Amino acid sequence: MNAGAALTLYVMAAVTVLVFVLAVTPLRGRMRRLPELVGLAGLVATAGIAVAQWGERQVAFAGEVRIDRFGLLMTWVILIAAAATILLAWGEPAAAGRRPEFTGLVLSAATGMMLTVMSGDLITLFIGIELLSVALYILCAVEVARERSLESGIKYLITGSIGTAILIYGFALLYGVTGTTSLAGIAERLGSVDGLLDQPLLVAAIALIVVALGFKASAVPFHMWTPDVYQGAPTPVAAFMGTGTKAAAMGAFLLLFTGATQQASGDWRGLIGALAVVTMVVGNVGALLQDNVKRMLAWSSIAQAGYLLIGVAVGTLAGAESLIYYLFAYVAMTLAAFAVVILREREVEDGDRLSAFTGYGRARPWAGVAMTLALLSLAGFPPLAGFVGKFLLFGSAVDADMAWLAIVGAVASAVSVVYYLRVVIAMWSPQADGAPAVRRLKVPTPVAAVAVAGAVAVVGLAIWAQPLLDLCAGAARALILP
Amino acid sequence: MPWVSITILIPLVASVLLMLLPAADRARARALALLASVLTLASSVVVLVLFDRNLAALQQVDHLDWIPAIGVSWDVGVDGISIWLVLLTTAIFTLGTIAACQHLPEQRGPVFLGLIMLAQAGLLGLFTAGDLVLFYVFWEFMLIPFALLIWNWGGADRRGAGMIFVVYTMVGSLLMLVAIVATGLLAMDATGDLSFLIRDLQGVAFGEATATVLLAGFLLAFAIKIPLWPFHGWLPRAYSQAPIVVTILLAAVMSKAGVYGLLRVGLPVFPEGVGNLIMPVAILALIGIIYGSLLAWRAPTMRLLVGYSSLAHLGFIVLGIIVIDRMAAQGAVLQMVNHGIVVAAAFAVVMMLARGTGTEDMDRLGGLAKGAPRLAVAFLFVTMAALALPGSNAFVGEFFILAGVFNQYAWMAVIAMLGVVLAAVYMLRMYQSTMNGPVRGVRDDGRGAEMRARDAIILVPLILMMLWIAVWPGSLVDYTQASTDAAVAPAQIAEARPVEQIGVTR
Repeated sequence: MNAGAALTLYVMAAVTVLVFVLAVTPLRGRMRRLPELVGLAGLVATAGIAVAQWGERQVAFAGEVRIDRFGLLMTWVILIAAAATILLAWGEPAAAGRRPEFTGLVLSAATGMMLTVMSGDLITLFIGIELLSVALYILCAVEVARERSLESGIKYLITGSIGTAILIYGFALLYGVTGTTSLAGIAERLGSVDGLLDQPLLVAAIALIVVALGFKASAVPFHMWTPDVYQGAPTPVAAFMGTGTKAAAMGAFLLLFTGATQQASGDWRGLIGALAVVTMVVGNVGALLQDNVKRMLAWSSIAQAGYLLIGVAVGTLAGAESLIYYLFAYVAMTLAAFAVVILREREVEDGDRLSAFTGYGRARPWAGVAMTLALLSLAGFPPLAGFVGKFLLFGSAVDADMAWLAIVGAVASAVSVVYYLRVVIAMWSPQADGAPAVRRLKVPTPVAAVAVAGAVAVVGLAIWAQPLLDLCAGAARALILP
Repeated sequence: MPWVSITILIPLVASVLLMLLPAADRARARALALLASVLTLASSVVVLVLFDRNLAALQQVDHLDWIPAIGVSWDVGVDGISIWLVLLTTAIFTLGTIAACQHLPEQRGPVFLGLIMLAQAGLLGLFTAGDLVLFYVFWEFMLIPFALLIWNWGGADRRGAGMIFVVYTMVGSLLMLVAIVATGLLAMDATGDLSFLIRDLQGVAFGEATATVLLAGFLLAFAIKIPLWPFHGWLPRAYSQAPIVVTILLAAVMSKAGVYGLLRVGLPVFPEGVGNLIMPVAILALIGIIYGSLLAWRAPTMRLLVGYSSLAHLGFIVLGIIVIDRMAAQGAVLQMVNHGIVVAAAFAVVMMLARGTGTEDMDRLGGLAKGAPRLAVAFLFVTMAALALPGSNAFVGEFFILAGVFNQYAWMAVIAMLGVVLAAVYMLRMYQSTMNGPVRGVRDDGRGAEMRARDAIILVPLILMMLWIAVWPGSLVDYTQASTDAAVAPAQIAEARPVEQIGVTR
């Protein structure tokens, strides 16, 4: 019991408050960037603390918060996503005048995500998910003057609230069955008390929780909000939802299933496996039909949730390890892709349409290469990080005698090649005769940095996969510690 | 020195450098691409010189752990099956680069050459990979450059052609990935170690049912890449829409990836499963031989004719491998090299004809021998080789295959023989209708199509290679014998073939 162990959360909370205070302070000239800089500094500091804390589990608040390898590694994913989001929104013209609030909201969402993955109790888990959701409702609608942004916020609010309601139902039932809200306690009761596993209420609780988290992770059939919200929300926010929220939701999946209800895995392996299959199929087929790159990326994020869910469905530590590795890869490639979309959006009206990318790779080769690497990695082409991740996930499925998941995943990936490559082709094909030259503006350095860093990570994480995999293995083992 | 790795890395590095060049800097791009391809060729010759022809196993292995936790490594080397394919790759790509440099329009520039180099690196990696995951990595790796080459610089239907090419290949190869994962994990159950090294997996007994299923997973990927009838849907579109230099590379080198995989991975790793698949695969190969020949006979353009003939010839090679006979397998390996050279030469002739006359449509040309006698002689030589006339290089390979097939299944040899007859029909049709008869479709009796120095630099080396193999096939077989015998032996043992047919005893 040591409240100081939760230092990362305190720092994040303090920085969030500080940024909100700065938001109401009149800042002039060069000081206008101060909130963003403070936010980034806070993220870097938190990342440093997370590295320093790496090791055996420490608990705070009577086990409500667990600081262990799992929480810390997932924190890294979240911090990367948050930092990238702030960079992607750098100088965003649409958010002018509200940039400090934007940064503050990203930070509070990130805090919620961290609380989620560090939670040792259903209550903290719930609070974490709510904190991140509420911040994101506002972020979606942050461009108050744009109708689509408002619509996106409302849509996310409504579906998100339904998800929350279902989640709390599920938690209540789970508490009813086991008599405790502590994750470790639930695991222990399920293992030791006879007859608990046969309770129909347990199945109901699991089903409700799967549905609710399915909403957050945008798994089919709870995905309908995703394309609209992604398209309407400011693009950096869409990038944040695609990466940070996904990571937090997957973290919650792992904590609740691979961790807490491991004993009942017979009840949920088939269920989550089926969810993964439907998600992969519908997500990939849906993406085929899109001619808007942002919408395509939204559908692709649904499909990717399907691959990620394989790691939960198998119910093994190998699955969790693969999932965490894939999350890193997924965050890198998604951020790189979104960064290039943002670049294009700032240069032309309707920059998220597929046609806006025609010839862009030739006009701006480094952005073209970054986008190409990101999309090829999303499609699972070797030797990129997305391939290594899929290889691990499929391997964990085959190993857990669920080869059908791997086969569906393989076929779905083959389909996905079509829509990812459609963008690649457009980028590298020549402009139609007589079309005006591709319009290029001065590149905002932070956005370019995210694109390049993401692309480098996509290659680097594949070639030096072993060190990260060692960390992931440690994180996965922390899931089942008593 | 790790010569095998160096051979792969030279084109890889060159491709990165080429992509970084400004689009307008074509002079430097040409110089760089030519230098890189010659260096790659030289490096592969060093590998050949260092090759020990008495060894059956992979040699000159460069091993580096990549992801040890899942048993994946950078593991490249050569054996008797791959050594000539490596040489074929570097030689054909050198000639292809020369051809590409001769006609490098502004919109192609360095990126075009860079993608060719990238494809070469992928193919060289594929032919030398000793680790199944690495094999898969290169299998996919080469797809992207080829697809981009078709997409960006192909004919009118390049989008559709490229997309079909990619989707066909991906469907097969992702299922192969699942099969690879399953192979590794099942082998781990048996041996206790997770390894994807082909040489480690060779010793594992999977049992007949499992081996059949796993082999089928690999076979689908191979069948699409080869392509085996009825998985050839991508071939006519890709071959006819790609820039012709790229078609040369696709037909001469990439088409060997599938058959190579079958002999190098399929047979040795899953010998127990081969027996169940001999009949289905052989029948598909036979259908491919006849069907491809008939299509070639009726093909409207020269390019499609050579493309379909390639379908038939690869049917021969598949047949030679799948009947698990030493002599037939020997012939198949030889024929992989032969076909690569002959089809490259045939497409090169098509390229020169199309360039000189402005059309690839056979029926609009005629009597070119009058104005272009040198090209006619070269073309006649290539035609003879392509229809496997006795005394040509392809004759040796096809003879080996047919003799081996006859020993095992006489009726198959009889049907395959029809393919040889039909080859004469379609190849002579192409030669006659363009070279002989009244002059048609060209001015000046077709002098514009005459072979000049820049054409000779591509065709003459290919013809010399054909002559060399025709006169002295033993110089190749010497190298391939030990590895080929070892590759088919496990399947022969599993099928309980007579002992005197088996070249290697375990």
